[in-house]
Amino acid sequence: MDDSLLVDVEGLHFSRGEKEIFRGLDLQVPRGKITAIMGPSGTGKTTLLKLIGGQLYPDAGRVRIAGQDVHRLPRRTLFRLRRRMGMLFQSGALFSDLSVYENVAFPLRVHTDLPEAMIRDIVLMKLEAVGLRGARALMPSELSGGMLRRVALARAIALDPELILYDEPFVGQDPISMGVLVQLIKTVNQALGLTAVVVSHDIKETLSIADYVYVISDGQVMAHGTPATLNVDQDDRVRQFIHGEPDGPVPFHYPAPDYFTDIMTGRASS
Amino acid sequence: MSHEHARRRGASRRQPVRQIMALGRGTLDMIDALGRAGLFLMLSCLGIPSREGIRLWLRQMHFVGVMSLAIVLVSGLFIGMVLALQGYTILVDFGAEDALGQMVALSLLRELAPVVSALLFAGRAGSALTAEIGLMKATEQLTSMEMIGVDPLRRVIAPRLWAGFVSLPLLTIGFSVVGIWGGYLVGVEWLGVFEGSYWSNMQGSVGFVADIGNGLIKSLVFAMVVTWIAVFQGYDLIPTSEGISRATTRTVVYSSLAILGLDFVLTAMMFGEIG
Repeated sequence: MDDSLLVDVEGLHFSRGEKEIFRGLDLQVPRGKITAIMGPSGTGKTTLLKLIGGQLYPDAGRVRIAGQDVHRLPRRTLFRLRRRMGMLFQSGALFSDLSVYENVAFPLRVHTDLPEAMIRDIVLMKLEAVGLRGARALMPSELSGGMLRRVALARAIALDPELILYDEPFVGQDPISMGVLVQLIKTVNQALGLTAVVVSHDIKETLSIADYVYVISDGQVMAHGTPATLNVDQDDRVRQFIHGEPDGPVPFHYPAPDYFTDIMTGRASS
Repeated sequence: MSHEHARRRGASRRQPVRQIMALGRGTLDMIDALGRAGLFLMLSCLGIPSREGIRLWLRQMHFVGVMSLAIVLVSGLFIGMVLALQGYTILVDFGAEDALGQMVALSLLRELAPVVSALLFAGRAGSALTAEIGLMKATEQLTSMEMIGVDPLRRVIAPRLWAGFVSLPLLTIGFSVVGIWGGYLVGVEWLGVFEGSYWSNMQGSVGFVADIGNGLIKSLVFAMVVTWIAVFQGYDLIPTSEGISRATTRTVVYSSLAILGLDFVLTAMMFGEIG
């Protein structure tokens, strides 16, 4: 397998109950780059990250990380592989019973035997990188949404992972913390040379940092390319998404019976 | 609309078929849930605890056990006092108030202490466990722990399970002791039963294995069932606010029913032949 690829998704099929979420998805994430996965809400972007992280199992197809098939690994090996990945959750997902400092120290404490002084140095370095060294004594409940995500980022990079998965990092952020996060993702990628997968539907921010973009829709890759090529893509669906037009090939309306008959027949139940 | 016609036409004819289907579906769901709960228990409890595991367990002993101490002891005191009061009014008619100590001790050790402590424990600690784990799930803390490469079954679930297993029997002992003392306060100090007969009758009639031992076995069984239900309901719930509230309610309802049902079965097995 090509050594420059860190994540290789091949022919991924996944469904939840009756609903088919992925129908043969192919996607490659090269080492050291920021790869963005974009698409309208409900296209299963978060599900894709969980499939990559080995938390969900696909119906068919496979996900390989650094050559290892994630879903064929025994539980123990899978957990070892996960130490080489970091994931940033939408909500931050900090442990609410631990302080900021202890949250960042958590991966170090469970996976290394480093002396306390060394752990302290690493934690402070990571917190400094996200600009929150001064907030180390606070509890997660005392932080704003943007700070939560920055602490979560510090925790995700505590073990210096090779791969970091960002789940909707920009959702619900004010313009300033959005800018801070965009900057941080970029710096972390360049300074530490780690590979990033960013799942998002914030087009402007994502296109500004991504090296390569996949747009998924209807369970498949609808388009892919560098931000520059996607910006001038002539496909109607891609254009609608990238330029944020309310109606187009992706309809504004959820499938419904004819409007006129629906109103005039006046059946309460349907 | 055509769908609705078909549904109405078919309704009367297919009613029994659908009921059978629903029954089958319900049974399958139940077996599935039992299997998941069993696997969950096995994966969490097996394995050698690390030093870190013991630290986490002690922490949970505090939350689950020590924090339930007040409610269990206060209830034990009142139940012992009420037992003595009720018992005295009956026994005194037969001139048998000397047997008060025996009556209080046996009712507490065999029955009331294990059952009432377990019910209180389900309400106080069980519901808290469900809500706590459920909220951790809803805020993705469990998922993020998995992604950090730490198994939440070992780190979050196991210490809580073991804390429940150990603390409820201890609480039950506390309940009995305080209850017997409550009985003494009312019977001896207030109603004037002779102190010597209160204690000596108790000493003469309570068997260590038959009464204390069986009571402890009961409370150990209740501890396992209640903690298992509470922790599994938290881990398995749908991570929304409605899901958490439902799971918390289910914990209390299922635990209470399981305690009372199992109590009958265990009593029949332990004391059935005494008649």
